[in-house]
Amino acid sequence: MNILIIEDESRIAKRIERMTRDILGNAIQSLRHINTLQEAMEFLENNPLDLVLLDLNLNGENGFDMLKSAVSESFHTIIISAYKDQAITAFEYGVLDFVPKPFNIERLEQAFERVTSQEKTDASSIKFLAVKKRGNIQLVPVEDILYIKGAGAYTELYLMNGNKELHDKSLEKLEQLLSPTFERIHKSYLVKMSEVKEIIVKSGSKYEVELNSGEFLPIGRTRYKEIKSKWV
Amino acid sequence: MNFRLRQLFHYISLIFLMISCAKAPVFKKYETVYKIGDQQTWASKDWDDKDWKKGDPILDDGRVFWLRTPIDILQDPERPNPYGIRLEIYGEYEVFWDGILIGKNGNPGLEATRAPEGKIWATFIIPEHQARKGEHLLAIRGSLYYFPDHTGIWSLNLDYYDNLLTDSLIQNSYMHVFAGAFLIISLYFLFLFLNNKKEYPTLIFSICCFLIFALALTVFSTDYIPIHYSVHVIRLQIISSFLLGISFLIPLYFSMQFPYPRQRLLLILYAAVLVFIFLFRHDAFDFKAVGMVLSMWCFSFCVVTYGAYNHIKGARLVLATLLLSMIIFLTFGFVISLYAGLGLILLGMLYLVALRIKDQRLAYENSLVQSTRLQLELLKKNIQPHFLMNTLTSLIDWVEESPKKGVLFIEALAKEFDLVNQMENHTLIPVNQEIELCKTHLEIMEYRKEINYVWEDEGIDSSEKIPPGILHTLLENGITHSLPQDDNIIMFKLCYDANNEFRRYTFLTFAKENSKKEPIEGTGIKYVKARLEESYQSKWSFTSEATDSGWKNEIIIYY
Repeated sequence: MNILIIEDESRIAKRIERMTRDILGNAIQSLRHINTLQEAMEFLENNPLDLVLLDLNLNGENGFDMLKSAVSESFHTIIISAYKDQAITAFEYGVLDFVPKPFNIERLEQAFERVTSQEKTDASSIKFLAVKKRGNIQLVPVEDILYIKGAGAYTELYLMNGNKELHDKSLEKLEQLLSPTFERIHKSYLVKMSEVKEIIVKSGSKYEVELNSGEFLPIGRTRYKEIKSKWV
Repeated sequence: MNFRLRQLFHYISLIFLMISCAKAPVFKKYETVYKIGDQQTWASKDWDDKDWKKGDPILDDGRVFWLRTPIDILQDPERPNPYGIRLEIYGEYEVFWDGILIGKNGNPGLEATRAPEGKIWATFIIPEHQARKGEHLLAIRGSLYYFPDHTGIWSLNLDYYDNLLTDSLIQNSYMHVFAGAFLIISLYFLFLFLNNKKEYPTLIFSICCFLIFALALTVFSTDYIPIHYSVHVIRLQIISSFLLGISFLIPLYFSMQFPYPRQRLLLILYAAVLVFIFLFRHDAFDFKAVGMVLSMWCFSFCVVTYGAYNHIKGARLVLATLLLSMIIFLTFGFVISLYAGLGLILLGMLYLVALRIKDQRLAYENSLVQSTRLQLELLKKNIQPHFLMNTLTSLIDWVEESPKKGVLFIEALAKEFDLVNQMENHTLIPVNQEIELCKTHLEIMEYRKEINYVWEDEGIDSSEKIPPGILHTLLENGITHSLPQDDNIIMFKLCYDANNEFRRYTFLTFAKENSKKEPIEGTGIKYVKARLEESYQSKWSFTSEATDSGWKNEIIIYY
């Protein structure tokens, strides 16, 4: 795993670093600490990462711009912050976890658990998906998304209005963030369950969902039972 | 305000009522003729006075002269009330009605040898049988030793004797009530001023009220203070002086409430005009009074109009009272308008005073709220999550990793809390206490950030006081927005210098700038400015700017 810690309090950064090493051990490929936003932004653009641990209040600057670009990337973001009141907003932007300061190793371990076990977030508190568009970052409201299709390392967001947006996160990572509003009906599809009109059984044990928009999407054979039970 | 206007309206209506109720006179007076000399038969009604002269004689010594005035009585007196005659005459004299002596006021012709006797206003009863409807003759045998150019009958009224006495008493008692009201207002505002000696408008208002009280008392005290004609000029001089004071102070008060450019110069010019009128012809008292009061009205009108033009609170109402007083002057003449008008203008001034008192109360309440807010702001510094949670997280780490250092960290934290608690209730604290707080804060931040923070100060005057938490706030900003230099050091330096005009604190940060952006005015800077405003009102300045080596804050406090 490639991990980046963005934290301007040196002592706390060291603490996070030490605990991360203790928890993840050999799973760590690289672990880096940066204490300014500017440097962090540059680093994000040029280095592949799996996880970012971000303090929202760096050197008196608002970390939400940083947060927006972090969550638009392919990796998961965990916030470690003194401001508990920002947790809700952070979750709306699509962070995997919010660790309030002061924290101990158990709480940090719990956060890493979500990354490694691909555990799903309990509440569907996410409201936006940040997508990169012509150099800018745009927030796409989750309620506007119909379904998501996996396309290699990327994903395609199919919107209610017929538009399509690209997202850097993998389908697995988005499933973690968007559950239970969205269900993985197929290895390549994540569908908003409220948009499913009907489940159709076809000959040759083929299953499909019909969406309210009139589109048909395949259901994976192994997932049919689970989907059927959730839909009813 | 409606209530006030209604009161004014009632007041004006009352004056109208008083005027309209005045009765038609019961007599008609013809021209007075005079002759110098003394002959008892000149008192006779039938004496042929065709060769007597008209006008007023000038007597260069205490010689006796006679005045003859034909008077028609237009209706018979109703029994049992006799008619009387009220005279205002300079000199000592005897009064003859149709040849019969009806009264004596002093000793005509003997003034040089005897002490002054008699009074300038006197009322004489006319025997009933001699006051029938028809032609009559008033003859005066008098002498004028002290003001030889003041001969003549200055005023004459003929009415029922009782009415002559009671009418002026009633009028005077009303005016005494009027004067008494102004005395009370004057004393009230004097006490207000004594409690707050900075409020000069309150003092001026108090003096104005007192002068109006004194003026009314001097003018309307003739019924119970007998004045010999030889000293009457003193009374007139006193009245003129009161009017001079009033005429200057009212526009001065308005000038303070409604400021305008070149105020001092215009006020000096105005004072010069007043003094000129006051000194112009020592004996033209009526001219002086009208001149000064009209000048006062014109100058006040200009000042208040300028205030109303600039939309200053209260100016319109005062303008209305000024216009109303002018209407009264044009309708009823000088004497009535003087008191009614002054009353109105003073009401306007009172309204302004009330407005100012209200503003002051609001400002005071605001300052209380502001002080409490700043006090909370100071207390909040140590419990706001960014400071507290980051400190606690670092602290846990130190305790876990190096308990001994952890203890030192806790001690530094305890010291900072203690220092803030000590200063929380004060608006000014010794500068050394603030420096102590800064140093303790740096100690804590060293444990957190693992950066070497260096504190230096230079030229500090330990007897000086500053508002609590302002250097601490600048220090916090410096820590937050700076990155250490290559040797992992951030240095802060506080310099103090003072001269006759100001005291100056220069607070320098030597560090790498974190971001090149101009920082927006955060809550920290707002706190610093609010504290400076609280303690030094507008006598301070604060600047904050980037330098080549870091950051520079400058606080200047003017004397």
